[in-house]
Amino acid sequence: MKRLALTLSLALASSLCAQVTDKQLELSPDSDWLHYNGGYSSQRHSGLDQIRLSNVGSLVSKWVYHVPGGGGLQSVPIVVDGVMYITQPNEIYALDGRSGRLIWQYHHILAKAPDREGPNRGVAVFEDKVYFTTTDSFLIALNTASGNVLWQSKIAEASEGYHSSAAPLVAKGKVMVGVIYGDRGLNGFLVAFDARTGERLWQFDSIPKPGEPGSESWVGDSWKHAGGATWLTGSYDPELNLLYWAIGNPSPDFNGDVREGDNLYTDSMVALGLNTGKMKWHFQFTPHDVMDWDGAEIPVLVDAPFDGKMRKLLVQADRNGFYYVLDRETGQFLHGSKLARQVNWATGLTAQGRPILVPGIEPSLKGTKVCPSSTGATNWMSPTYNPQTGLFYFVALEGCGLATKNTEKFRPGGFQYRAGGDVLLKDDTWKVYVRALELTTGKQVWEQERVGSGSLGGGLLSTAGGVIFSGELNGEFVALNAKTGQPVWHFNTGQPINSQPMTYMVDGKQYVGLTANSDVFGFALFEPEKALAK
Amino acid sequence: MLRSIGISLLLAGANCIAPAQAASPNNPLGTGPEAVAAGHVIFNRTCTACHGTDGAEGERAPALVGDRRFFRLSENAIFDTIKNGILGTAMPALGLPDDDIWRIVVFIRAMRASASDVDVPGDAEHGAAVFSGKGGCLKCHMLLGQGGIIGPDLSNIGAQMTLQHLRESLTQARPIPIGYRPVKVVTRSGETVEGIAKNEDGFSIQILDFHDKLHLYDKSELRQIVHGTTSLMPRNYDQALTPGEYQDLAAMLGHQVTVKLHVKDQGEGEVGR
Repeated sequence: MKRLALTLSLALASSLCAQVTDKQLELSPDSDWLHYNGGYSSQRHSGLDQIRLSNVGSLVSKWVYHVPGGGGLQSVPIVVDGVMYITQPNEIYALDGRSGRLIWQYHHILAKAPDREGPNRGVAVFEDKVYFTTTDSFLIALNTASGNVLWQSKIAEASEGYHSSAAPLVAKGKVMVGVIYGDRGLNGFLVAFDARTGERLWQFDSIPKPGEPGSESWVGDSWKHAGGATWLTGSYDPELNLLYWAIGNPSPDFNGDVREGDNLYTDSMVALGLNTGKMKWHFQFTPHDVMDWDGAEIPVLVDAPFDGKMRKLLVQADRNGFYYVLDRETGQFLHGSKLARQVNWATGLTAQGRPILVPGIEPSLKGTKVCPSSTGATNWMSPTYNPQTGLFYFVALEGCGLATKNTEKFRPGGFQYRAGGDVLLKDDTWKVYVRALELTTGKQVWEQERVGSGSLGGGLLSTAGGVIFSGELNGEFVALNAKTGQPVWHFNTGQPINSQPMTYMVDGKQYVGLTANSDVFGFALFEPEKALAK
Repeated sequence: MLRSIGISLLLAGANCIAPAQAASPNNPLGTGPEAVAAGHVIFNRTCTACHGTDGAEGERAPALVGDRRFFRLSENAIFDTIKNGILGTAMPALGLPDDDIWRIVVFIRAMRASASDVDVPGDAEHGAAVFSGKGGCLKCHMLLGQGGIIGPDLSNIGAQMTLQHLRESLTQARPIPIGYRPVKVVTRSGETVEGIAKNEDGFSIQILDFHDKLHLYDKSELRQIVHGTTSLMPRNYDQALTPGEYQDLAAMLGHQVTVKLHVKDQGEGEVGR
């Protein structure tokens, strides 16, 4: 062994307890990062402040792990006691969070489904188990220390075209998983499994069956191939014991003629009882959506004063171009405002939060300019809320599309059922920004352009160090001043970033973790004495 | 090649005579246990002088089974080699009747096949009782979600190993698989941790201890690292168990399959089994 400086011997190796408890899952992210969006509230705000505005300039990449065969990674790393879990479709990797070295990996062998299709967004953890879902629609539980498969449970029929790509959510011994694809006429649902045994407990169907409440919002048989995918991870309020899940677009995406009505519960936020999966309330952002603006964006839960009274709020930056503030106990609409300059399909929202439509601004046979485009004014890239600044941060896209519809028919087996699309108008106004809004008013406080990014890119992380981390599609990983939006650090990863950053601490050292295209990065502050000791 | 077989089969089915210059002869004997046993006898008489007993590697010719990469995998590739030899090497054209060559081909492929693809004698059900009982295997190994994690998961072992490899693992010292080498470290603060090294480089080591806990070290934090030289896997199952129990345990492991691997076994240049 090499001789070492005394200061280094103070660093103790982590002795790891691999048991993740309910209590830990309820905490805001600190040393561990236990959920896709950090905590049940999905605020993505970490209490760690070792990396802060005053020293973020000396942040360096400490390690890189290349994911074999990796590409387009969207997995958010989950870290438990220094062990990082990341995924790509049908594969899961456990890494040493300090060195990036592989501890174990597991490849789910498929009978038939495509192995590398779609993204996989990551894992959930509970007790000694780590959970992920597969392209052939299984939920798999593995031992956190060894990667041994403990059980696997079928979520949906892969032969019908169902996949599962979102990171699961674990709450009070239940694992919730969603399904895709809403763009293939497959009806979405959310399933809860027993986290210990894999037993199927309940299912919430995004599309009500005839006779059920909400079924009146569909005509004829249109409910049968109606979409409503559950393709992102939801949030949870342990006190109210309610899950908040955002539901995707209706099928076919662009031709609403075959599905007259509001098309519940597509493009909606639903609040579900954790124990039963029964819906307590719903709020529909875009009734009868014809632009693929699935309201699947992340529900962020914040307790804050509204009109002088403390409220349990749910805020969401929606793909349709509006920012919403809801009461998460009742689903009551409290506030809504435009989050993008280019919104031409609605002039505003009613007192109930329903869009006030501009006639004719919808896909047509010959094409209509609709703003935002089908990509949306924002999308799946996670936003963040910083309780210290009181600001809500999200990634915005200014841009429009030339939208057409057609008469494409549903075909069973998981084929595209969009019946139209839009040509993205990438003119001078097409720009990507990180924006900061006042939480309850939606008033924009600052914006910072992602120069050179042709589309949205990755999501955001906020830390108690006063920094917002932001991964851009052009490969730049950037730190912004949370108060002003000014860039304070950047690192070129050399590849497109399509994932959300996270942060964790091992042995007293804070790291920032990120997956970028084919690689996983671990960043920490530069330590000259340690570099010399090697 | 497959297409021409298909055509000649079609022709035979239509009661026609196959062309005299058929590109690919067909194995007329099947791959059943009788053909394998007969091939074993001919192999030992004809091939072992150079390739070693059961093709395990001889003094004059390479191994025909085991974990190396093979260039000749398909039935026809092996048949043609035995029939015609390999020019420029010591491998001669054997001059055996075609049926005997086919028997050798079937035997070699059976030796390479995963355990689940061959006939493993024994009572697998009783073997499962030995596995969880007298054998004590669950202490270290997991089977379908139950058992220990210090050894490899055996849920799919029948599809992953040849029968020979399986038997050797139970009875002989074998190279320690990557990620399972025993290791003992002493930290600078005096703590001792023992387990297996899941990974290691010049600067860090990742250890799973015997209490199922992971320990992640920068090597600068360690005073001492001692690597074990032998596997934690006992290798006396043919002694510790009765012959019947041992056979049944091997049968149980040989049949233990959750996912079939190496389905491309007809391909050329793939890693052989």
